[in-house]
Amino acid sequence: MDVYLPIAEVSVNAPLLIGLGMVVGFISGLFGIGGGFLMAPVLVFMGIPPAVAVASQANHVVASSASSVFAYGRKRAVDFRMGAVLAAGGAVGSLIGVEIFRMLRLMGQGDLVVSLSYLIFLGVIGGLMLTESLGSLLRRRRGEPPEVVKDRRPAWLYGLPLKMKFPRSRLYISVIPPILIGVFVGILSAVMGVGGGFVLVPAMVYLLRMPAGVVVGTSLFQIIITTSLVTILQAGRNQTVDLMLATLLLFGGVIGAQLGARASARFRAEELRVVLAVIVLLVGLQMGLGVFVTPSDPFVLAPGMGG
Amino acid sequence: MAYDLPPPPVPAASVSAALTTTKVEVTSDYHGQKIVLYGAVFNSTDRPADVVVVVRGPDQPVRIARKVQVAGLWLNSRPVVFQGAPGFYTVASSRPLSEIADYGTLRRLAIGVDHLAFKTPADGAVETRFGVKDLVVSRLGSDYLDYRRAVVRIKHAAGLYDQNEHGVTYVDKGLFRAEINLPTSAPIGRYQAEIHLFQEGREVQVRQRPLEVRKVGIERTIYLFAHERPWAYGILAVLLAIASGYGASVIFRRS
Repeated sequence: MDVYLPIAEVSVNAPLLIGLGMVVGFISGLFGIGGGFLMAPVLVFMGIPPAVAVASQANHVVASSASSVFAYGRKRAVDFRMGAVLAAGGAVGSLIGVEIFRMLRLMGQGDLVVSLSYLIFLGVIGGLMLTESLGSLLRRRRGEPPEVVKDRRPAWLYGLPLKMKFPRSRLYISVIPPILIGVFVGILSAVMGVGGGFVLVPAMVYLLRMPAGVVVGTSLFQIIITTSLVTILQAGRNQTVDLMLATLLLFGGVIGAQLGARASARFRAEELRVVLAVIVLLVGLQMGLGVFVTPSDPFVLAPGMGG
Repeated sequence: MAYDLPPPPVPAASVSAALTTTKVEVTSDYHGQKIVLYGAVFNSTDRPADVVVVVRGPDQPVRIARKVQVAGLWLNSRPVVFQGAPGFYTVASSRPLSEIADYGTLRRLAIGVDHLAFKTPADGAVETRFGVKDLVVSRLGSDYLDYRRAVVRIKHAAGLYDQNEHGVTYVDKGLFRAEINLPTSAPIGRYQAEIHLFQEGREVQVRQRPLEVRKVGIERTIYLFAHERPWAYGILAVLLAIASGYGASVIFRRS
């Protein structure tokens, strides 16, 4: 059953979109990531213009993240205060990122920057996560005691001014690091068209040293705010949000996210991180290596003026 | 259309034609559409007449970039803008265009994908667009033809440009038909079907038939809403998303 998308101006198979939404929603709920980095390549592969794919999936990410956050919130696994601070930085970052991306697109370098960001960021983060999580998984298998969690919170977290209490995370740190992380994630999410969870989750675990229990929920809460802003900005500035597309995706997405949030309780955090790391690495390589392959047609249409 | 033709010899040949569909309605199950054009040639002369059917969609400026390899990476060169490229263009005839009329005539009438009047602003022109300064609009020189062919090739691959020298078929003496295949990606807007009649390399008559592709129903409502109230549209989209996320979490908690 094909359906015509009014903004994307292509017709696509509706059950396929709902299924895609469900799969990405499940992964989203399971790992606490938006899942945009998985969905954008698939949508583009289905023939949807990249600008519309990126903008509409942001709206899908709002829905599936909201669905998970309500679930996590009831389990008191969301640090709303930390999420709000991260999101404040994220808002600034995404405003900057949207403008940077507009210029890159007009210079015809949008594709390249997207591919390279996928390769670099997904590659580095996936690699780091894989090493770390495999390491702790192996130690557990060998029956060794888990690595002694020294209080390795770096001194700069405490040395900076503007300290704030984050009771849910049991932290009393300066707001400057979270805000900077937020800005960085905001820029990335605008340029790569993703929520930024794959950067945020490791940043919260390894830089801010937040307790694992609140990381996923808080990351999703921040993602809701950033992607809502991206949706509104994209709709307002570029008219690239396709409600029909977003509705189909989020219909599957909210269901998938619920199932994912439930399933996450059954796995160990390390195991989940190994799987996530592999997914992140694979997508990064798949997206990024394209720039090294000789193109079949040396000419490409550059977006930005219709046609 | 008045051209400086020599007074046609009497009696002249003439053509008339009609489209089976003049309004293409884009609904949720739109897959593109096939449109048939029927026409008749009235030729009481003893000179053979050729029919060429041209369908043009609304103009869509094209930005095209060439990929160049720099240090192992394939990068896009700065894009070049072509003005006046139609968003949809198809030519149908019953034999090769070059046998129907000469190069100059085809070029003047813009018949055939090689004769489309793409305009690139003067070489090396620099202008400011969408707040981006110093956009080089064209500095093609001898590469112009490569770029032009690439535009045609890419549009052809998308089913948007076509040239078919067997596209006009005669169903009976003097009675012809031509099929126009609009792909899903064909732009929305006003189209023009032109039916050219050639005799001995000269255009003796041209008839025009309008064709409109438009969105209807929910598709049109969404499209207009998105373009006329973009900010409200964005906010609504977010509210819908949050509401459905909340809805799902409530349903799943109870189940």
